[in-house]
Amino acid sequence: MAVAAATAASRGNGGGGGRAGAGEASGARKKKGPGPLATAYLVIYNVVMTAGWLVIAVGLVRAYLAKGSYHSLYYSIEKPLKFFQTGALLEILHCAIGIVPSSVVLTSFQVMSRVFLIWAVTHSVKEVQSEDSVLLFVIAWTITEIIRYSFYTFSLLNHLPYLIKWARYTLFIVLYPMGVSGELLTIYAALPFVRQAGLYSISLPNKYNFSFDYYAFLILIMISYIPLPQLYFHMIHQRRKVLSHTEEHKKFE
Amino acid sequence: KALSSAPGTAQQLQVEILDAKTREKLCFLDKVEPHATIAEIKNLFTKSHPQWYPTRQSLRLDPKGKSLKDEDVLQKLPVGTTATLYFRDLGAQISWVTVFLTEYTGPLFIYLLFYFRVPFIYGHKYDFTSSRHTVVHLACICHSFHYIKRLLETLFVHRFSHGTMPLRNIFKNCTYYWGFAAWMAYYINHPLYTPPTYGAQQVKLALAIFVICQLGNFSIHMALRDLRPAGSKTRKIPYPTKNPFTWLFLLVSCPNYTYELGSWISFALMTQCLPVALFSLVGFTQMTIWAKGKHRSYLKEFRDYPPLRMPIIPFLL
Repeated sequence: MAVAAATAASRGNGGGGGRAGAGEASGARKKKGPGPLATAYLVIYNVVMTAGWLVIAVGLVRAYLAKGSYHSLYYSIEKPLKFFQTGALLEILHCAIGIVPSSVVLTSFQVMSRVFLIWAVTHSVKEVQSEDSVLLFVIAWTITEIIRYSFYTFSLLNHLPYLIKWARYTLFIVLYPMGVSGELLTIYAALPFVRQAGLYSISLPNKYNFSFDYYAFLILIMISYIPLPQLYFHMIHQRRKVLSHTEEHKKFE
Repeated sequence: KALSSAPGTAQQLQVEILDAKTREKLCFLDKVEPHATIAEIKNLFTKSHPQWYPTRQSLRLDPKGKSLKDEDVLQKLPVGTTATLYFRDLGAQISWVTVFLTEYTGPLFIYLLFYFRVPFIYGHKYDFTSSRHTVVHLACICHSFHYIKRLLETLFVHRFSHGTMPLRNIFKNCTYYWGFAAWMAYYINHPLYTPPTYGAQQVKLALAIFVICQLGNFSIHMALRDLRPAGSKTRKIPYPTKNPFTWLFLLVSCPNYTYELGSWISFALMTQCLPVALFSLVGFTQMTIWAKGKHRSYLKEFRDYPPLRMPIIPFLL
């Protein structure tokens, strides 16, 4: 949740193309990079993910045109959204085995927060699926991921078009707040239904002497979004550095 | 005259201290004895920069290199007549003893707040009431004993190799210890607490294991203390002594952690409380990381390190 929308300028996923924003592991160490087999696998992975999110994008457009309205489009792309977003869990594995130079902790955090929103909020609380806030974060995620995965694909092939790099480090300016708003509004919309149904909550007494209040937990999640504006401004600052660095390189070509 | 080479007069050295990041010249020390230690250099440096007390200083020969040790002698280092040292600020420091005392005193008092059902924790009708379950009273005794033991060990048993740690650690550590203590105490002392499924049998077995593990943990702390004479920094391989509890050294490098894990698992069993089990799990993860690190340094330092030993769990981990 908190860092879910922050994937725009963060995290490496094979190929070091361009210094990244807030999330990427320190590239100061001279790592030898993934071997040829790992690179082939990562290229395939990133191509498949790019394709997947394109399917979701196309699905949204088609559903919009068919329905004539932008309400309740979630249902048309529910399955590919769940499949491809959950598939991103593999990225944690990539970091863990070292074929991608990012931090396992940071990547886990980011992927888990996305998976949480998809499964533990949107899927679990059926009543929010028709909310417009869902469309807000789905669009933000879709555009972000298409750019991110194609960025990684091209980086791995050592041929990164400036356009993709520019898009990755620029569009987040709009997509990040959009995604965060969509996520927060969705969680907020889910609250009364969670309270009503006692969803995922356990109360005393019970034989394991434990209790959990999912409603309170969701409130804590929403509070955890508070440091995000700081991260956002840091990413904008990083953007200036990365894009001006490339500009200078181009001057000398 | 300071550089005279008359027999018996060692050449005095000069030391310049530069900032490791900016290479700015911070301090120049003249007429330094060649047999001066890094600790003495640090004291001299503090004189000109009082805000950087010795424990906060990291001095190294290379800006990106390892920190020099306090006991390193100047002339034994690869330096010429002018030694160039690079300084890095380690940040505000706090003594290990202070951190330990603070992080252990918290759980001791916090647990008691819940045990005595101080107002505003449970409903008002429960204020200052007492649980009717024996195990709840037993748990309070065990938990309190555990932390009193830790406090006494900090004051009288442990010999710390480092004097200080970064200040921010105290906030991190206290949040962990105090937070978990409050969380488990809340449930164990709750008016709706459910005693263990297998009743007195379960409690007695768990208590026995708890006592054994506490004695074991204490025995290991004493054995480690006796391994190193006061004030020295010698490192030796720990071996089993006449005390049967130390025989665990035959199988693990860090039996103190093994016993500590056993204590908390038995406490979880005694109270049948999930938060205690979760606390044990987190503690186990951290102690395993420490044990593996310690085991690795033992293997690196001692060629003849017993091959049968595992870091924390006999034969397994």
